[in-house]
Amino acid sequence: MSNIDWIILVGTLAFIVFYGVWKTRNVKNVESYLLGDRDLKWWTIGLSIMATQASAITFLSTPGQAYEDGMRFAQFYFGLPIAMVIIAVFFLPLFYRLKVYTAYEYLESRFDLRTRTLTAVLFLVQRGLAAGITIYAPAIILSTILGWDLFTTVLIIGVVVIFYTVMGGTKAVSVTQKQQMIIILGGMIVAAIIILNKLPADVSFQDTLGVAGKMGKLQVVDFSFDLSNRYTIWSGILGGTFLFLSYFGTDQSQVQRYLSGKSLTESRLGLLFNGIFKVPMQFLVLFVGILVFMFYQFTPPPLHFNRGNVDNIEQSSYAPAYKQLETDYQLVYQEKQTAIKDLMLAIEQEDETAIQAAQTQVKTYFQQDSSLRAEAKTLIQKQNTFAKVKDTDYVFISFIVNYLPVGLVGLLLAVIFSAAMSSTASELNALATTTVIDLYRRSIVKDRNDQHYLKASKFFTILWGIIALSFAATADLFENLIQAVNIIGSLFYGAILGIFLIAFLFKSVQARAVFLGAIVGELIVLITFTLSVYGYIDLAYLWLNLIGCIIVILLSLLFQAIFGDSPPTPTKVLDR
Amino acid sequence: MRQKPPFDEEAPPIFTTWNQLYCFVLVLHLIIICLFYWLTKTYS
Repeated sequence: MSNIDWIILVGTLAFIVFYGVWKTRNVKNVESYLLGDRDLKWWTIGLSIMATQASAITFLSTPGQAYEDGMRFAQFYFGLPIAMVIIAVFFLPLFYRLKVYTAYEYLESRFDLRTRTLTAVLFLVQRGLAAGITIYAPAIILSTILGWDLFTTVLIIGVVVIFYTVMGGTKAVSVTQKQQMIIILGGMIVAAIIILNKLPADVSFQDTLGVAGKMGKLQVVDFSFDLSNRYTIWSGILGGTFLFLSYFGTDQSQVQRYLSGKSLTESRLGLLFNGIFKVPMQFLVLFVGILVFMFYQFTPPPLHFNRGNVDNIEQSSYAPAYKQLETDYQLVYQEKQTAIKDLMLAIEQEDETAIQAAQTQVKTYFQQDSSLRAEAKTLIQKQNTFAKVKDTDYVFISFIVNYLPVGLVGLLLAVIFSAAMSSTASELNALATTTVIDLYRRSIVKDRNDQHYLKASKFFTILWGIIALSFAATADLFENLIQAVNIIGSLFYGAILGIFLIAFLFKSVQARAVFLGAIVGELIVLITFTLSVYGYIDLAYLWLNLIGCIIVILLSLLFQAIFGDSPPTPTKVLDR
Repeated sequence: MRQKPPFDEEAPPIFTTWNQLYCFVLVLHLIIICLFYWLTKTYS
């Protein structure tokens, strides 16, 4: 990396951090620290919500996913605007009326302290583990590509985030996220323009779309109703609404973003801003992946994108076999050129017969191409059984490092670091807030002054930061850690959503019924998971989210019918 | 008639009611999906 790139990378990140610290230098009490004085405008809230959801892995993986699988992943977000509207209508006014710090506080006014504490603990377990992964996942990719030490990369991301989150609390998180989102969006737009300019002079934008479309890369919407197909318009709208409702409505890392709004209006507008711009933003990120795909139709791509794996195999006894695969891959690439030119010409002349012939020809080369890439992966795994051969996460970053001009490499790396920091900052902030408000101040140390709880909030931010860092730094000791964390999340997320849906939708259900329903429901989820681990049942872990939610709702209704508690009391004033 | 809480009184900056703004967001989303469908059909 050149000195200019270093200056841009360090300068951008340092500017954002110091801007955040400077803007929040007057944070002097708990409300100010945890809710940012509730004075944020809608655009800051909207950008902050987007930045929290978009982690670094989004910007590393999504273009790679489009490169491999086309644009259909965009459908995953189709339920998001619907969820934003539902939260703005039903969730938000309730949270505002009770002036809560956390989503779980509401559960005490609706049910009781036990339910609030249980839900807060479930959140802390899953989000505490996820915070480590939010740092670790991009760090392992960045360290491989840039040749940096993994521990140093983890430390750079972690220490910087902990610093400004501790200094300025939630307001620092939001104001830095605003800057980070501007850098992220600006960086992705610049990347798209540069890639277009790097295509051969005789390949127009129309040609790019034409060839990508004929290769099946521009199939954004799929109306087929197939439960085994992960991305269709139906799974996006039905499943997506459910998923985003639970994420934005009950996960404190998101709830805290919109609770820091100046008014209900500002918070609502912030959510709707996300509802309007999130889908186009994901489209842009995926489209950058398509442009990278098209770039590599006219520039020889590497056989395998993970440089670390390639370096290892080139120094092993498998080097000659790998070299042979590379030679074959380049031959296929050369032959594919003629077929692509034929396809472009046929599209231009609108000759359907010629289009189909050229399309078949190009697809044949793509199959050869894919099978050579698969052989390379098999070889890499033969050389090192533990090597992670899925290389789509490395497609965009290796393009950035190898093909972007000096200066832009630094800017795009700043994009990825910014995304890692913005998500982690929200997570640490939410973990500290939930620990202080729902556990420490509510049940452990109750009657101390504001300054004590301010110090406690800073202490817990550092503590959660250290936990996340330790987890991230030792993550490579565990095999398939990302999946492990997703499984842990799936074990608890369903129960949390179930509790909230009972609170919102079933006014007759009371505290005892929902608490028992949540405990028994959670146990059933854990037993189901254990049975699937030992092979007694065959169930993908993602289904545990839905199963947990439905079981908690059904059990709560059942227990309510059995116990027949008294009708609901009016909303209580929260005892903080 | 029951009075709304003060925080809920503010009208949205555009449109007259919040329901209109929600409809706007959802209709815009529908238009985006239609554009994606057009892209899919045109270039596939």
